[in-house]
Amino acid sequence: MSADRITQDVERGEPITIVIDGQQVACFAGETIATAMLAAGLDAFRTDQRGKPRGLLCNMGSCYECLVTDIATGRRIRACLAPAADGMEVSTRG
Amino acid sequence: MERADVAIIGGGLVGCATAWRLARKGASVVLIEAGDINAGASGQNAGSLHFQIERRFLENGDALAEQGAQIVALSRHAVIDWRTIERELETDLHVAMHGGLMVAETAEQVALLEAKAARESREGLTVRTLDGDEARAMAPYLSSGILAANFSADEGHADPRAITPALAEAARGEGAQVRTGTHVRAITRENGRFVIRGNGLALSADQLLVAAGAWSADVCALINIHMPIYPVALLMNATERAPPIIPHLVQHVGRRLSLKQTHAGNLLIGGGWPSRLAQTLHGGFDLSAKAQMIPESLTGNLLAARDVVPGVTRLNLIRSWTGVTAITSDQLPIVGPVPRMPGLWVAAGGSAFTLGLTFARLMADAMTGDEADELSLLSPARFEHLNGFMG
Repeated sequence: MSADRITQDVERGEPITIVIDGQQVACFAGETIATAMLAAGLDAFRTDQRGKPRGLLCNMGSCYECLVTDIATGRRIRACLAPAADGMEVSTRG
Repeated sequence: MERADVAIIGGGLVGCATAWRLARKGASVVLIEAGDINAGASGQNAGSLHFQIERRFLENGDALAEQGAQIVALSRHAVIDWRTIERELETDLHVAMHGGLMVAETAEQVALLEAKAARESREGLTVRTLDGDEARAMAPYLSSGILAANFSADEGHADPRAITPALAEAARGEGAQVRTGTHVRAITRENGRFVIRGNGLALSADQLLVAAGAWSADVCALINIHMPIYPVALLMNATERAPPIIPHLVQHVGRRLSLKQTHAGNLLIGGGWPSRLAQTLHGGFDLSAKAQMIPESLTGNLLAARDVVPGVTRLNLIRSWTGVTAITSDQLPIVGPVPRMPGLWVAAGGSAFTLGLTFARLMADAMTGDEADELSLLSPARFEHLNGFMG
């Protein structure tokens, strides 16, 4: 699954950059980490025990399938709820 | 009308395991489940395999503690049943028996641990009392506030979502019929047999086993028998997955806590914290509705987990759920034949994850004419006075 941004009649925040698994991802202030990832075509939020990629499910904070690690704090956060912040670094590898 | 040697009401661990054991012995078995297989306490519980005397048996005086100790004899069977079940079913059920620690945080609790270990060793269960440092050497995840722990090498956990469906499948494989979505509406006795009717069901059986957990008293009421089994609603919690850090079952001798790490990496946190049962308009408990979480239970449970395993504070709590299990009027499970009504068997009243495989094996033996003296402690005969005017 990936996503495209709506382009018409939308007001966006400032352009910012976050870092997902070392990769620079351009996005906009006000978007969640999950939004930024999906818009960049990054749809694997973890790998399961067989090494297969897993996506997010509910995109509203309930399922916890989108947990990623905030490198600065070491905390596991829900990508679908956490806002992207300029320069933020996130890992999907535990 | 259909006929069977044995009808079993309840598609939980005990019902499915008994169906499997009986069918393997050549009995014709029909298992009747109102909802789905594993939908009740069998699938909602913590999955603990606990063989030490439970905290709940220790907090109400010596007599109850002595009864709790007598269960140890059954626990010795359960150790073997759990160690062999994956091989018997040829399925991975995530059975992990790497030992269990029951911890103490106060001097009073340490004394309780020591007394408990003495009682357990009299019953033939090997339990070692470790001081805090010894416990942390074995279990580095434990808090510095732990003063002592009793270690039992056979304790552990298994996956409640895996075992009962596997048993149901094995029962089917041996020829048992498994009917889900089938509500029993009436049970009558005709010519010494049990006639069981429900939606799409008309069955005549020589013997009837009621293994319906919290619903067992209501099922027994259908044949005019009292069974002192009461529903209780509990709370369970799961954290996000974490790398393997806790191989053991962790319990507390003075606080409500059970904690373990599943095969997938989640920590399961429970320990008998109450939830609120739903009620009917007429004032009784409504077992068809979900029990409600009590916020103080959630905080109490998580605080106990934090005080014992401080590392939990790094993890997100991702699920909490309520489940309904059952307790009997004297806290011991009720397992065996009902003297007042020959052919009627009951198996309900808690402890049936750890002991369920053993209840099932011993009952299947007894229902087909073999001895099963081990169950006498749990016999419904102790409540026979309630049925003097019943039947």
